[in-house]
Amino acid sequence: MQGPSIEFANVNLELGNTKILDDVNFTIRAGTIHCVVGANGGGKTSLIRSLVGQMPHTGRISIQWQEGRVIGYVPQALDFDRSLPITVLDFMAMTCQRRPVFLGVSRARRRLIAATLERLGLGGKLGSKLGSLSGGERQRVLFAQALIPEPALLVLDEPMTGLDLAGKDIMEGAIREFAGAGGTVVWINHDIVQVYEIADALTYINRQVLLDGAPHEVLASGAATHLFPTLTLPAREVLSA
Amino acid sequence: MNSPYEVPRQFIIHLADTGVIHYTFTYAFVVNGLLCALVVGPLLGGIGTMVVAKRMAFFSQAVGNAALTGVAIGVILGESYTAPYVSMFSFCLLFGLFLNFARNRTKMSSDTLIGVFLSISLAIGATALLWVSAKVNTHILDTVMFGSILTVNDTDITVLLITALLTAVTALPLFNRMLLASLNPSLAHVRGIKVHLLEYVFVLLVTILTVACVKIIGAVLVEALLLIPAAAARNLNRSIKGFVWWSIVFSTVSCLVGIYAPMRYDLPVPSGGAIILTGAAIFLATMIIRMTVPRYREAAI
Repeated sequence: MQGPSIEFANVNLELGNTKILDDVNFTIRAGTIHCVVGANGGGKTSLIRSLVGQMPHTGRISIQWQEGRVIGYVPQALDFDRSLPITVLDFMAMTCQRRPVFLGVSRARRRLIAATLERLGLGGKLGSKLGSLSGGERQRVLFAQALIPEPALLVLDEPMTGLDLAGKDIMEGAIREFAGAGGTVVWINHDIVQVYEIADALTYINRQVLLDGAPHEVLASGAATHLFPTLTLPAREVLSA
Repeated sequence: MNSPYEVPRQFIIHLADTGVIHYTFTYAFVVNGLLCALVVGPLLGGIGTMVVAKRMAFFSQAVGNAALTGVAIGVILGESYTAPYVSMFSFCLLFGLFLNFARNRTKMSSDTLIGVFLSISLAIGATALLWVSAKVNTHILDTVMFGSILTVNDTDITVLLITALLTAVTALPLFNRMLLASLNPSLAHVRGIKVHLLEYVFVLLVTILTVACVKIIGAVLVEALLLIPAAAARNLNRSIKGFVWWSIVFSTVSCLVGIYAPMRYDLPVPSGGAIILTGAAIFLATMIIRMTVPRYREAAI
């Protein structure tokens, strides 16, 4: 598998009278983990929603596909009626099969879903009600659905919100494994230490691209100190080490 | 030419004649009602789960009430007051589509917008009824509002069957996609699902279903059969499979009991009312089970 490279060229987005993205230019290399960081309201989610074709942007976003053209997308959170009778298997199956889920799931697909959930530490949760899972477990289910069918590009919108340490480790492992196999990852991430440790590239956005490059270079620059004023002391120590 | 429904009708009448089933089924109109119930029950029970999942209960209520306005307009325009399908379909479709169009283009919450549209529709209906009362006795509109199996004829059964077929071939292949679109539109969009188009398709389905079922259940009560069996099934299930199948069972049982019981026991209740009261009894029973049986209490968390 080989993920695509992506080029954002003069991307602008205006909603009503508000300029959300202002002449955004940067490139995401194929087969890398590329983190998008920035303050709340800086246009990160709008940027990736433009990437997946959900925003009326201007300019050019070109995806140079290599092998496969499947995008796996993990939204910020699944906002739904928790009391709805939907099991984890129902949810996973409805994202990847045509046959109405109330008519059943084929054995092969059920095995694939079970194996994917197992990879994310959710073995045994197949029959659990989606609404009764913890927030962290539900985030992992959301991540699991993005892996079926096998994507070439993973687009993640803060997928680790609400995850405990064990959950973070499992998901981080899955992301590394995916990128290691050649997949491209575009990831909105607020955890700058994690970005430093795992990302191949980082782009800081606040309507415009303010920083772009390899994390160790970007975070060592003077501008980074100014842009990450709230970085905690332990985190600074990790980065400076 | 004989009616295509003559064979099943005669079969059921024969069963009643020979004492296999109760003698009330020797009457053709009762059999017509039974045939309709066997179509309406599964149809509304199945689609109802989607209405509940998509939180469109108030919408379906509004479409049901719009049917009344459609009937009033139909009578003014000279349609038959027992089956003003053209006006009902036209007005309800316009109502449903325009409401969905407005919902996609305002930031107003759905219930506010539906409330506004419902009020407008009722105001037009009330005005139109004044005109209608000059033409016909408005009491005949009770049939439209609360349903009556006494007046179900072959045309009504045909309309119902065509609607059922149309709904099945449309909703079955789109079931998963419609459900995913209601859970998370962004996720659905990335998976190539045309979220807005599916919303319109669903609005069309609910509208057409409502109008087709008006005769047997009534304009005011049809949405109740979309909601109550699904709500009852939701009380007792944790998976979509159980949710949909139990909703279909509850809905079909409600229809059969609602049609049969008033005749069998000589109760002065219209078919629509009896169907909904049966559904309500099932709903209450599931509520009690949910509150008292530990297994279901867990499922309802």
